[in-house]
Amino acid sequence: MRLLRFLLIIAAFIFIGILPVHAKDMVVKEPPKSLSKYYPPESKQPKWIQQMHKMSTHFGGVFVNLKEKDFENVDMHADKLVEEYKKTSEMVPEWEDYFDIKAAEAFAAAAKTHDIAQAGKASGGLGKTCGKCHAEQEVSVWAKFHWPSFHKIKVTDPISEKEIEFDDYMGSISSSFKGVTVNFGEGQYGRAAKALKVFKSRYLELKSTCSKCHATQDVKRFYVGKDADTAFAGLSQELNSEKPNPGKFWKNIGLLGKTGCKHCHLVHRTNSFIQEMWEK
Amino acid sequence: MKRSPRIFDLIKGLGLIGVAGFAMLYFLVNERFEWIPEQVLELARDPEILKRPPAKKCSECHKAIYEAWKDSRHSISWTSENFIEASENRTKEKCLPCHIPKSVRGEKPSPRLDLRDEGIYCVSCHFIDNKMQGPYDLLAPPHPTFRNPDYVRSNICGSCHQKTFKEWEATKVEDTCQDCHMPRKKGRLTQKAGFNLLHKKRWVGDHRFLHGEIKENDVIMESGWEENFFLISLKNKTIPHFVPTADNGDPRLYLYIKFFNEAGEEVDNAKEIIAPQQETALPYNRKIQYRYRLFDKILKAEVELKYQPAWSKEKTTVRAETVSR
Ligand code: HEC
Ligand code: HEC
Ligand code: HEC
Ligand code: HEC
Ligand code: HEC
Ligand code: HEC
Ligand code: HEC
Ligand code: HEC
Repeated sequence: MRLLRFLLIIAAFIFIGILPVHAKDMVVKEPPKSLSKYYPPESKQPKWIQQMHKMSTHFGGVFVNLKEKDFENVDMHADKLVEEYKKTSEMVPEWEDYFDIKAAEAFAAAAKTHDIAQAGKASGGLGKTCGKCHAEQEVSVWAKFHWPSFHKIKVTDPISEKEIEFDDYMGSISSSFKGVTVNFGEGQYGRAAKALKVFKSRYLELKSTCSKCHATQDVKRFYVGKDADTAFAGLSQELNSEKPNPGKFWKNIGLLGKTGCKHCHLVHRTNSFIQEMWEK
Repeated sequence: MKRSPRIFDLIKGLGLIGVAGFAMLYFLVNERFEWIPEQVLELARDPEILKRPPAKKCSECHKAIYEAWKDSRHSISWTSENFIEASENRTKEKCLPCHIPKSVRGEKPSPRLDLRDEGIYCVSCHFIDNKMQGPYDLLAPPHPTFRNPDYVRSNICGSCHQKTFKEWEATKVEDTCQDCHMPRKKGRLTQKAGFNLLHKKRWVGDHRFLHGEIKENDVIMESGWEENFFLISLKNKTIPHFVPTADNGDPRLYLYIKFFNEAGEEVDNAKEIIAPQQETALPYNRKIQYRYRLFDKILKAEVELKYQPAWSKEKTTVRAETVSR
């Protein structure tokens, strides 16, 4: 029973601290310049995150020790939390207003009464300050500091062997895709077969881009993996047969368009859109 | 003035003692170093060596190995232009572990915070548990050493060359990465006056980490004609990993084929990109067949195989052939 109560308190704490404060309109503003100091390449380590972990540890530390009745450590974590919270509030001047030092001190005072219920109640005020900033800033920070940019990636076009920007490459892959479908629609199977060769080599070239951001090969099972192989094999089978079957042809086109292009866009393009806004 | 014979004898005597002394020291250092008490060794130790110094420090004694390493891709794994660009000015966290490893121990290393410009350096590969680990059981007065058999095994390379290591393992070939990429020669481990004579000659692995070359009999190329087809095959016969092979790099072979008609005009062409990132590299000892449908009357094909390493955009010709019908 006591364990259950403890877990509930911890859960409440986690929810207050991490769950975003709901707001219908979300603004994804570029994070302030001064935050860059705490991320690579300006800093060797992601110092902002480390600071977050420190606060989080002391916050949690108060409750863990209250439960264990290790009051000496309750007091230690409460003091450290206030100290780190103050320190964090000075790191990014533009974000100063997110912090409420009084709420942090009030929480520390409540914790020092060593009454778990009182501490739980006082944690709400402090937790809200964490949650508000997370809700408003975390997505921007991820887009800025955790998502590599597709705009800085070049791709070697397998046909011309020239290096081109990623989005230009998307343009050319998309027009060679159309070369296949448009010609097929017109019954020009010979041309469609030629276009398929070009399109396939462009599509395969995409496989060389994954390793510019991913350090495991496993990701290539998606978008450029078996589904794509199956679709290409099916397409060339139809185009090389005497009488291509449109049903089978369009099914494979759909497979490529969906599990290849679309799914990759759904995962990777959201952040690309955000970054593009900021680059303008 | 005539030299006194006594002094002459004295010099001879001292010389003899010197030679005998040196012989004893040589014997002691090379064969019975366990007899030397730790307290005596302490006197010869240089504590700086154990503070993760830059490679330059090791070059005070291991000059030849240092010069070789300087010539290797490992020494520029962090400063390579190509890497800086690909890692978005080194901000991609996933790209750091193997390019600035703290310590190599048979699994993916963690990245280090200091001396990043040194890339993959001596300390990354040799300094473990406060000792310089290596292939030998020996005495190095300036620093503690430890024999670790992993240094002559492929798995040390496999810490970072993970994909290549898996390919190699699957071939069951006994030659290790070191056998081909760090060929050994008899020589001294150190060049510092004194040490070099005191220590016997041993096998020293080439720390340039040689790239390796594709020779005529490594990759076998065969071609032929059928009614309406031109056939060509490539087989990696001797290299016990894919060719090319890569983890995060993108080395490639390009196979170009030009088709000519009776008039000697080029009427068609084809191209293959043989690249690990595209999963089209040549596996060990398996023939890969390419087949081209011919639409015109073709009398001749010109075939060229070119190689482009991971760190360059330049291609070099590996093989060129003209095949007539
Ligand atoms: C001024 C804004 C702000 C305030 C206030 C703030 N945070 Fe954060 N926090 C962030 C941002 C931005 C991130 C995302 C960092 C990243 O992923 O690079 C983050 C991430 C975190 C993370 C996840 C770290 C990870 O490894 O992904 C934790 C845990 C955290 N914060 C705890 C707290 C706690 C606890 C508080 C309150 C005591 C707090 N934060 C207050 C901005 C803030
Ligand atoms: C510009 C950088 C970039 C490129 C290029 C890129 N990705 Fe990603 N991808 C990411 C990031 C960032 C994530 C988020 C999770 C992460 O960091 O792994 C992600 C997530 C994924 C995921 C979700 C699962 C996971 O590992 O997180 C898959 C699957 C994936 N990518 C596949 C691919 C494939 C396949 C390619 C090549 C065709 C590719 N990616 C190219 C940056 C990239
Ligand atoms: C690596 C995963 C990936 C795959 C697979 C992929 N795309 Fe994209 N595509 C992207 C990303 C990321 C962008 C946004 C690029 C940017 O912002 O610069 C994009 C952008 C585009 C654009 C817009 C180009 C522009 O000028 O902004 C088109 C069109 C496009 N893709 C078509 C396709 C088609 C067609 C396919 C399938 C045949 C495909 N893509 C497969 C990742 C992918
Ligand atoms: C598991 C270890 C490992 C990780 C992680 C890793 N690399 Fe590498 N990288 C290597 C190895 C090994 C080579 C040598 C060539 C090869 O086998 O691909 C290499 C070579 C390269 C090269 C070609 C050599 C040069 O300097 O031009 C580039 C570029 C590169 N890596 C970029 C990256 C990028 C970008 C990332 C992050 C997405 C990354 N690496 C992550 C191991 C790794
Ligand atoms: C003052 C001279 C000196 C310096 C500086 C020095 N070493 Fe050595 N090292 C030696 C001697 C002497 C040996 C033994 C040579 C022999 O037996 O032929 C040795 C042996 C080694 C061995 C072989 C170990 C084994 O068990 O196989 C390694 C590895 C090694 N050193 C690494 C390093 C590294 C790395 C550095 C720099 C951080 C370094 N050394 C700096 C003198 C030095
Ligand atoms: C700490 C990770 C790591 C270890 C351990 C490692 N390598 Fe490397 N190796 C790399 C990286 C990263 C590169 C690419 C450096 C660059 O070019 O930027 C590389 C490059 C190479 C190259 C040159 C490849 C080329 O394209 O020219 C060879 C050959 C090589 N390593 C062989 C070895 C051998 C043999 C071993 C084992 C004795 C080994 N490596 C151990 C990470 C490592
Ligand atoms: C990528 C990992 C790597 C790096 C970097 C590296 N070594 Fe080595 N070293 C090895 C391996 C593997 C061997 C065993 C070679 C063999 O004999 O098969 C070795 C062997 C040695 C030996 C014993 C002699 C021999 O060749 O067997 C010495 C001494 C040594 N290294 C010193 C150095 C010094 C000094 C540096 C820096 C200038 C350095 N190493 C950099 C992997 C490395
Ligand atoms: C029998 C000799 C032999 C053995 C054993 C061997 N290699 Fe190679 N390796 C070569 C040759 C020859 C080349 C040049 C051909 C090529 O580019 O693939 C090469 C090329 C490479 C390259 C350059 C990448 C490229 O293809 O451009 C790397 C990296 C490499 N080997 C790593 C390793 C590793 C790691 C091991 C052990 C797991 C290993 N090799 C075992 C002979 C060998």
